[in-house]
Amino acid sequence: MLWETIRLALLSVWRNALRSFLTLLGIVIGVAAVIAMITIGSGTTEKVRSDISKLGSNLLVVQAARPDRSGSTSFTPKQLEAKDVEALKKGLATAKAVAPSAQKSVRVVYGSQNISAQVTGTENDYFTARDWNVESGRAFTESEIRGGTNVCLIGATVRSQFFGSGDPLGQSIRVNRSSCTVIGVLESKGTSGFGQDQDNVVMMPLSGFQRRIAGNRDIGSIFVAAADGVATSDVQAEIETILRETRRIAPGADDNFEIRDMTQIADAMASATTTMTGMLGAVAGVSLLVGGIGIMNIMLVSVTERTREIGIRLAIGAHERHILIQFLVEATVLSLLGGLIGIALGLSLAGVATALLSIPFAPSISIILLAVGFSALIGMVFGFFPALRGARLDPIEALRHE
Amino acid sequence: MNIAMRRQPLITFENVWKTYGKGEAQVHALAGIDVSIGQGEFVAIMGPSGSGKSTAMNIVGCLDTPTSGRYGFLDVDAGKLDRGSRATLRNRYIGFVFQGYNLLPRTTAVENVELPLIYRGVASRERRELAMNALADVGLKGRETHTPAELSGGQQQRVAIARAIVTRPTLLVADEPTGNLDTARSHEIMDLLTRLNGELGLTIVMVTHEQDIADYARRTLRFLDGRVASDTTSLETA
Repeated sequence: MLWETIRLALLSVWRNALRSFLTLLGIVIGVAAVIAMITIGSGTTEKVRSDISKLGSNLLVVQAARPDRSGSTSFTPKQLEAKDVEALKKGLATAKAVAPSAQKSVRVVYGSQNISAQVTGTENDYFTARDWNVESGRAFTESEIRGGTNVCLIGATVRSQFFGSGDPLGQSIRVNRSSCTVIGVLESKGTSGFGQDQDNVVMMPLSGFQRRIAGNRDIGSIFVAAADGVATSDVQAEIETILRETRRIAPGADDNFEIRDMTQIADAMASATTTMTGMLGAVAGVSLLVGGIGIMNIMLVSVTERTREIGIRLAIGAHERHILIQFLVEATVLSLLGGLIGIALGLSLAGVATALLSIPFAPSISIILLAVGFSALIGMVFGFFPALRGARLDPIEALRHE
Repeated sequence: MNIAMRRQPLITFENVWKTYGKGEAQVHALAGIDVSIGQGEFVAIMGPSGSGKSTAMNIVGCLDTPTSGRYGFLDVDAGKLDRGSRATLRNRYIGFVFQGYNLLPRTTAVENVELPLIYRGVASRERRELAMNALADVGLKGRETHTPAELSGGQQQRVAIARAIVTRPTLLVADEPTGNLDTARSHEIMDLLTRLNGELGLTIVMVTHEQDIADYARRTLRFLDGRVASDTTSLETA
């Protein structure tokens, strides 16, 4: 009986093809919008996650705490020093790499070209901490690091700006008036999640950077990579204990340094984009509701148009529930059909959009199933009132209807 | 002797009133009807419009209920039944033929005939077989897959008759079955109804305006102002 009803409903949808199509359109657009929004949104979330993980996995960054804007502090401001780094290197059992670094944006010159690049003074551990490989050439040697020799590694952007496809190894570039020899090229890391070109960089030994570029012995940040299988929160706690000791912070006093956990930041940003996705999805959901009202409208028209048919059916012995089910199934089939077309359309839209925005295409099975269920539900909910109206018709009146 | 007296009554009206409106605007469509129709009778109902014959037909067909009085159908007080029970009663025991055929458009003849069987819950194979037989019965073999638009008026009315008899009902209610047909077609339809009345013992109650159509029935009830003005039975047959 139900199968029969579904068959009849499909037949009726087919017989009124144009009207059915126009009715479907509301649901199609609604479902397509929801599916496209959510698919693009989750692609963005995935993109943000992978961008942040490019910074390095299980990465913690230690920096000196800065006084807040009013100038009042609850701690004694103090720069990070070489002995903080030494203490961490010695005492931190849970770390894979500990690398001090200092950065400055300066002009870099090669031949007649000059560009502005981010120059970093650091050690080889920095590359480990940030999962960054040397593509050609080599990393620093121990003696270069200790002596602050004027050698440098360059990022992919600097390389292509200066050397094109030529070989940069052994060439000499000028960084802030002092020259240095290129000993290696870093692999490309692309743009960071914050929109920064991570390849427009020059790396040199920290002591050389301090002497020739910065002109002081400050250490901007210490990069710490947690050893495999160690929670970053454990490493964070350990860093805090060690630094409080070497920086002689009295018990009860606030830390004069900050430890940022990149994993946490990644999670926070991902959850922000997830919230965005949810909101966009909800807005798109409103159009689904409008589609549902469209279904109700057309079902009311359909019931009125087929008053005589309902009269015939009632006269020859259909019960109220038969008529109710007939129109309910028809509304459900209609909106379900719209839902399926909408899913196809939404996924294609999302496919095109993600390709254009170069973010991953991440369709979610659960969202698709939800969309199918929801469009069926819309059909039932919005089809119910018109169906009930049809079922409650007086057969005598209905048969008289022209 | 009245034929109705000899047979077991199928339909009994006992002081049936049907009133529309209230107070001053009150209209008595039926003003105390007392009639009984026996199993296997062929009855024509005539009368001017507004005489109450349509109201009486609706009550006979269990589509409507009296305001007061008793309408008995098959020993049941059908006037007191609820909507659902009357629907079941119609589906089991009553077939309908209308002036305007009332077939479902864009639906084949055989599908139209199957319709009452669907609501009876008959399995599709059996349904198809019964519908084919019914169509053959009314002389429409070979037209099973035609839609109403592809059939003439007379053929459409035959499909409607097939739909009415496919459930093997006890009673056939025909509301001006020849109203939309020319004379030749009308007589074909009436011959068909007469045959069904004779062969199957089908009780037929038919409303008509035309005397020559009414003459096919053995008994004629004339309505006037909500009452049965005359009840005549032709004596030539029986």
